[in-house]
Amino acid sequence: MKLFRFTYLRRDFNKWSIYTLAIIAFIVIPILTIFFKLFSGPGESWSHMIKYLLLDYSLNSLYLILGCTLLTLVFGVSSAWIVSRYKLPFQRALEWLLILPLAIPSYITAYAYAGFFDYGGSLEFLLRNIGLTSSKFSVTNIYGLIFVLSISLFPYVYVVSRAVFLYQSGRLIEASKSLGASEFQTFFKIVLPMARPAIVGGLVLVLMEVLNDYGAAKYYGVHTFTTGIFRSWFALEEISTAVYLSAILLVLVFAIIGIERFLRGNRSYEISGKSDFKLPKLALSPSWRVLVFIVVSIPILCGFVLPLGQLLYWTVLTFSKVASLSFITIAFQSLGIAFLTSLLTVTFALLVVHFPLWNRIKLLSKSSHLAVLGYAIPGAVIAIGVMIPTLHLDKWLIKVGKQMFDLDLGLLINGTLVVLIYAYIIRFIAVAFNPIEAGQLKIGKSLSESSRLLGKGTLKTFFKIDLPLLKPSLFSAFILVFVDAMKELPLTLILKPYDINTLAVKAYEYASDELVMESALPSLCIIITGVIPILFLNRLILNGTK
Amino acid sequence: MKNSHLIIAFALALGACKSEIKKEGITNDASKSEIQEVNVYTHRHYEVDQMLFAKFEAQTGIKVNVVNAKADELMQKMTLEGKQSPADVLITVDAGRLVRAKDKDLLQAIDSKLLTTIIPSNLRDEENQWFALTKRARVIVYDKDKTNPEQLSTYEDLTAPKWSEKILVRSSGNIYNQSLMASIIAHKGEDAAKTWGENIVKNMARSPQGNDRDQIKAVIAGEGDLAIVNTYYIGKLLNSEDPEEVKVGLRIGVFFPNQDDRGTHINISGAGVAKYAPNKANAIKFIEYLVNEDAQKVFASSNYEYPVNPAVEVSDLLKSWGIFKEDMLPLSKLGENNKKAVLVFDEAGWK
Repeated sequence: MKLFRFTYLRRDFNKWSIYTLAIIAFIVIPILTIFFKLFSGPGESWSHMIKYLLLDYSLNSLYLILGCTLLTLVFGVSSAWIVSRYKLPFQRALEWLLILPLAIPSYITAYAYAGFFDYGGSLEFLLRNIGLTSSKFSVTNIYGLIFVLSISLFPYVYVVSRAVFLYQSGRLIEASKSLGASEFQTFFKIVLPMARPAIVGGLVLVLMEVLNDYGAAKYYGVHTFTTGIFRSWFALEEISTAVYLSAILLVLVFAIIGIERFLRGNRSYEISGKSDFKLPKLALSPSWRVLVFIVVSIPILCGFVLPLGQLLYWTVLTFSKVASLSFITIAFQSLGIAFLTSLLTVTFALLVVHFPLWNRIKLLSKSSHLAVLGYAIPGAVIAIGVMIPTLHLDKWLIKVGKQMFDLDLGLLINGTLVVLIYAYIIRFIAVAFNPIEAGQLKIGKSLSESSRLLGKGTLKTFFKIDLPLLKPSLFSAFILVFVDAMKELPLTLILKPYDINTLAVKAYEYASDELVMESALPSLCIIITGVIPILFLNRLILNGTK
Repeated sequence: MKNSHLIIAFALALGACKSEIKKEGITNDASKSEIQEVNVYTHRHYEVDQMLFAKFEAQTGIKVNVVNAKADELMQKMTLEGKQSPADVLITVDAGRLVRAKDKDLLQAIDSKLLTTIIPSNLRDEENQWFALTKRARVIVYDKDKTNPEQLSTYEDLTAPKWSEKILVRSSGNIYNQSLMASIIAHKGEDAAKTWGENIVKNMARSPQGNDRDQIKAVIAGEGDLAIVNTYYIGKLLNSEDPEEVKVGLRIGVFFPNQDDRGTHINISGAGVAKYAPNKANAIKFIEYLVNEDAQKVFASSNYEYPVNPAVEVSDLLKSWGIFKEDMLPLSKLGENNKKAVLVFDEAGWK
């Protein structure tokens, strides 16, 4: 038996197997570094952790997962269905406005909400002006946190569901309707089950963001695994305890990913070719139109308009204090770093999707999903995971430099952009991986298989067939990574080079120094740089449907 | 980066000419000494600091390179960088982290007459590994219209039944709370500290949330009667760009607890010279500069902090809150008891 397997292995082995292994190793090494720390045993405070804190962490994280799942699904799927199915006033504007909450980092949304509902905050001011006194309403608790995270992350679900509704559902909806099914039945029996893999994919991204969140949970006083990791890492100085908590968190993430895979099963959702059929949008009666319009407006108002308004108000108050030449420099540095990160991350994601496809060893073709793990691991943990191996490399280089050339080299890699972007790639490859993989699933294998049957090589097929077809997915991937890179915080704080700063770090510095109002200007810049590419993304999806 | 490329190219060229390697060593040293700089890892990211750094640059010609991050992250970074660390100076916003940096062998003792004469002994490390730059006090604030300050006395008194559901304080994850708890452990022992924590939790008006400013606002909003906060943030509130915050600031009163016994708990922002500082002399100059009268005046007037240099007067705003007796506990104790404090908080159920 074993011998057979080995011969299979030899038969199936090709150069792509090596490349697959190499790229997986590149991405997984920092994560493994953290894993190996597990074997050094739990820290001395581990029993203290179990006794006093673990239950609290688990319950809060669980509530967050459940609450955010429910809310993001409600916001994301409903709005996606409405804008892709019905004729609405301001149709086009609504479509892209619904993506915009993604441009605001969730911790900034959290600050804005706290400020809005605060004592002496904007809500009170507004109510007072129309002659009302407000009853005290506190958002800084777990329910507020669930709401804030959901309202800022639901576009992940919205974007993927809308893409499926627009691209794939047309003919089937038509068929279903002509066979006499009602609108309601069609949605729940046909559209939703078909879109499920995509929706769950989007939801997984949301949940990973939720579990990774540190800023918002900390500000709202909700203890989660991630705040626990920071606490044991930094306050208790016990990396081993932090790593144990990370391991539990990873189990949670594995469970979520496992459930998604299980739900998807072996079903494949290939549609014969790209659907060029665009379903005509339904007109609604005036009263329904108003109702439906209100339903899609709510997430826009709560997720974008309200926090943006609060930030604008704060910016007006603090603009002269914050704006300066050095601020502009920081803005450009942020943009440059995010651009480079997106470019490299998409490239790597493309490789991670395709190398395993081209290799013939079954075991390896599944391995690509390991690469997605980075997104589930808190940024700070990845930062340390990247720092440890690269420092070893640096030290080795220093040794070599000393021995071979008698040079004092200093650190060549650490403290440069290389390490920062390496960490970004690991963190964000999942963001690029999911749309690319989904795109690849949608394209199916038949085209590239035909191409290869007709004698074209793997690479030629890739560049002539897969790549052009993947273009929309690649672009979505690029933009999602770009927006995320602009927002990223903990990892940047630890790994960023000396003379470079990012807008996110600047915003955080102000906010953590209890200068929330001053953080509004850098936050606004992050939002603007996030909004513009998102508009491009939207145009791309629209063009695809023409 | 560029320099190292040049040096490598130079070395290779020299090697090719079969010249003596020594020459290369000399140029290397020469190129190093040309640039006068000091690399500062700092947790402080205030405008006023940047202003002072610029002044220092202008006065000495020494370039200040700044890395801003949380002290914990900076310390992690220094540990991992080891001997290659470019850090010259580490600045934190509390004493606990400085003690921890010393324990982790990240700092070195320095010999500066100026620093040891200016800075009182409880505000610096006994082995001169770190020095305070500024002070803040952790006080009790109340609504002047509602609460009579004569009811107030000590931190311990906050556990009395009369304050049931009246106390506002932020989470135990906050370093200022940890240091306060550490000082109570130092004075009263761990058991008493735990009981204190438990009773404060019982008296809390709400589950801990938000920052110090939020606690002050909650007092005026009527969510509770008393808040435990840092003086620094009261100053920030009174000088806020938001008129509503200023209103809140004007309505609160400041009470310095424990005036009849050990004094009000204080914490510091401080600095130490990194163990492997490549520019040690500049680092010392830099710290000395920050405690001189001019710099201390700037700290006192624009950042609502108490100066450590006794020759410098506190600002008018700080004076208006009154002169108070400080807890003279050596601040190294805050660091030594920090971890205990974190654990005691958990045991007491202080979130």
